[in-house]
Amino acid sequence: MAAPKGGYFGKILEIDLSKQTAKVRTISDELCRKYIGGAGMGAYLLTSEYKAGKDPLAEDAMIFVGVGPLNGTYCVSTRTSVVNMSPYTGLLSHAEVGAHIGNEIKWAGWDGILIRGRSAKPVYLYVKDDKVQFRDAKNIWGKTTDVSDTMMCEEVGDPYARTIVIGPGGENGVPYACATIERFRAAARTGTGAVMGNKKLKGIAVRGSKAVPVANNKAFYPAAVAAKQLAVDKEAWQGIKRWGTAGLLELKHWVSGSLITKNFQTTWYPDIEYIGGEEANRRFWQKHTACNHCPVHCMKLGVLRDGKYKGLIAEGPEYETGGLLGSNLGMSDFGGMMALIEAADAYGLDAISLGGVLGFTTECVEKGVLKPADLDGINPQWGEADSYLELIHAVAMGKGKAGKLLAKGVAKMAEEIGKGSDAWAVHVKGKEIAAHDPRGDKARAYSYAMGTCGGDHHEGTKPATIARWAMINSMVMCSFVGGYPWGKETPGVFTAMLNPLCGWNMTDDEYWTTAKRIITMERCFQVREGISVKDDVLPKRLTSEKLPAGPKKGAVFTADDTKKMHDAMYSYFGWDDKGIPTDKTLKAMGLEDLIDDVNAARKKL
Amino acid sequence: MERKEKKYPDALQKGTTRRGFLKGAATVAAGGAVALATSGAVKPKAAEAQKAAREPKFRYLFAERQNCTGCRACEYACSVYHTGVVRPSVSKVHVMKYKSVVDVPVICWHCDDAPCIESCPTDPKAIQQDPKTHGIILDEKICLGAKCLKCQEACPAQFIRVNPDTGQPLMCDLCGGDPECVKACYAQSGNPQGPCLMANKLGFGVNQAYRNVTPEEAGEDLLALLFYPNETGERR
Repeated sequence: MAAPKGGYFGKILEIDLSKQTAKVRTISDELCRKYIGGAGMGAYLLTSEYKAGKDPLAEDAMIFVGVGPLNGTYCVSTRTSVVNMSPYTGLLSHAEVGAHIGNEIKWAGWDGILIRGRSAKPVYLYVKDDKVQFRDAKNIWGKTTDVSDTMMCEEVGDPYARTIVIGPGGENGVPYACATIERFRAAARTGTGAVMGNKKLKGIAVRGSKAVPVANNKAFYPAAVAAKQLAVDKEAWQGIKRWGTAGLLELKHWVSGSLITKNFQTTWYPDIEYIGGEEANRRFWQKHTACNHCPVHCMKLGVLRDGKYKGLIAEGPEYETGGLLGSNLGMSDFGGMMALIEAADAYGLDAISLGGVLGFTTECVEKGVLKPADLDGINPQWGEADSYLELIHAVAMGKGKAGKLLAKGVAKMAEEIGKGSDAWAVHVKGKEIAAHDPRGDKARAYSYAMGTCGGDHHEGTKPATIARWAMINSMVMCSFVGGYPWGKETPGVFTAMLNPLCGWNMTDDEYWTTAKRIITMERCFQVREGISVKDDVLPKRLTSEKLPAGPKKGAVFTADDTKKMHDAMYSYFGWDDKGIPTDKTLKAMGLEDLIDDVNAARKKL
Repeated sequence: MERKEKKYPDALQKGTTRRGFLKGAATVAAGGAVALATSGAVKPKAAEAQKAAREPKFRYLFAERQNCTGCRACEYACSVYHTGVVRPSVSKVHVMKYKSVVDVPVICWHCDDAPCIESCPTDPKAIQQDPKTHGIILDEKICLGAKCLKCQEACPAQFIRVNPDTGQPLMCDLCGGDPECVKACYAQSGNPQGPCLMANKLGFGVNQAYRNVTPEEAGEDLLALLFYPNETGERR
């Protein structure tokens, strides 16, 4: 049980909201090396403490706001990983989010914040180095995310503090509510907002003033500089600097045929011209914004200068927000789309799930299985921002029949509505999928169907990249800067930084074993909750309806594709043909503790 | 927008009178002479030795505020140069996010009238301006630290922060004439607007219009400049 030599403080801040206490949990170098941090460390904490069938909203349910060894060092573009059991899917989920809060947590001297318990009244936390305050949130409760962010910094008297907050969506328990960082960044897709709302935790403000210990600074610093230079020079990133991810909107329409349109009816959407990156650049964007130490600054802010929503400041469109709340809803009005994106940010809702729900609802109304009377008279039609705005408001505030129905999410809505609506209910493991249609972009199916969280677009495009992403999410780096450009160089770039930073001698083999261990452990958690090969599939619409138009006309994700995907994935990670890790694999990865749980789950199948 | 004119009346008047203008111009001329003297008289043999020791150059630091992306590379570079590790809390230059929308780089403008030096009560003064580089140098042995901090009150740009370890003010010494933050910003940029930080002999000496605003006021300016017609930055 040696203390970490560098890269970690060896301390996790444990918060109990029921008792309003904070204590320190020490972590050893061995543990850090085994699970790295961020998503991996969160998965370890949750898997080792939870039993099968845990209630994600129980009082002792945990949220881990984790950082990795590279956070707060000279390494380029480090992020934050939020890990919890999602109340939406009932599965282990992790969300990686940019901006600056992760580094502030690290500089405050922590390798993560672990939150459990439930407060009697709304509170928020202020962490300044070793000091932790539980502060009354009665003035902030009920406010939208931007106001909460500003008010929290004002109340703690520190304009340099960084915040993670929930909006009205999380307070009202919408299961796909997100936690919002610094107004525009969202730790979404995990239902973190709902869990925080359930704990009556409005947010966390953090400020740190320490330096991260480095085992061998002389070797680490040049390695980090070289890694940053790779990110600066990479040609593919010059486009992201200019266009953000919005540039992909046009690309996926014209070239790869994977831009989702009108609830996955097609991927051909010529109106993208009016809502895509070029339009945004011409009329909307004013400012580039970067996360910590990042040369790519993919986040774009803009203001609407005319029209109905004049004066609206918003972030985006990004590829996912512009896809889900733009082409997915048949929008051709740029201002209207930005109003929807901003509404999702303001209420603290996951824009991907929200877009999926709105698209599904519209198709239900179009096909006549849902009447406006079932939605309090709101009549959603493709491309009409106003009715969508009304619905978003209803969802976030939990208002009326519409709000209650739409807050359930596509999977449960399809069950409730019936009438064959599951034919166009697009979700994986109960979660809506993101804006890349896997019929046009088949590699993306790995991320949706095989990724830990389900329906997630950021978990790799083949078994080897799923392993790579596991490390990226655990070291907690940006998957742009850290993931894509270093394909060939991986893992050399990272071991060159990690070894001098932490005083390790990690080889390439150990690096990949660690990646496989993290993915396998996450899988064990899901297996315990009843997940197996039957759940690793894409929804009916994507496997049976051919694309009607566009560059990938006629494409469909066949049963053969699914089989190939399963075989490749399970054999790479050493799982059996039901998608359950074998005893041999678990032993080889040092996960013996989980063998009994996994075998018990296997018997239930 | 209402400026806090009462707080720094002298500085504001100086910026607008002809006398102030002439004074600034004269300083630049003198500065130019210093720079020429140092760079022109380099002998070939001594050149290498001087290169290693960093050429002192008379400079001003300047921040093109609307170009800042808020990446904090300047804070990283500053703390790495001065302490060897990344530690933004002791970085001299820093970036403030205003209303979570705009980023305000807060820098030392290296004013010719240097209100911080004027306000320093010790004798000899703990804060000096290096005549060769124009950087502000703090003598940690003389500085009274947390019980004084008159310089912090005097700085019209509210640039000066306090070192959490020593309680002494953090002063920008221009890294001996070749500021690391500027290099980091340049390397980081490549963005469509170009870098935000620059170091050179700019304009007519100190730029009063830039330095006489607090970070909050600069944030308001940026919102009005970039996000018209929503100058308040509130959500609509």
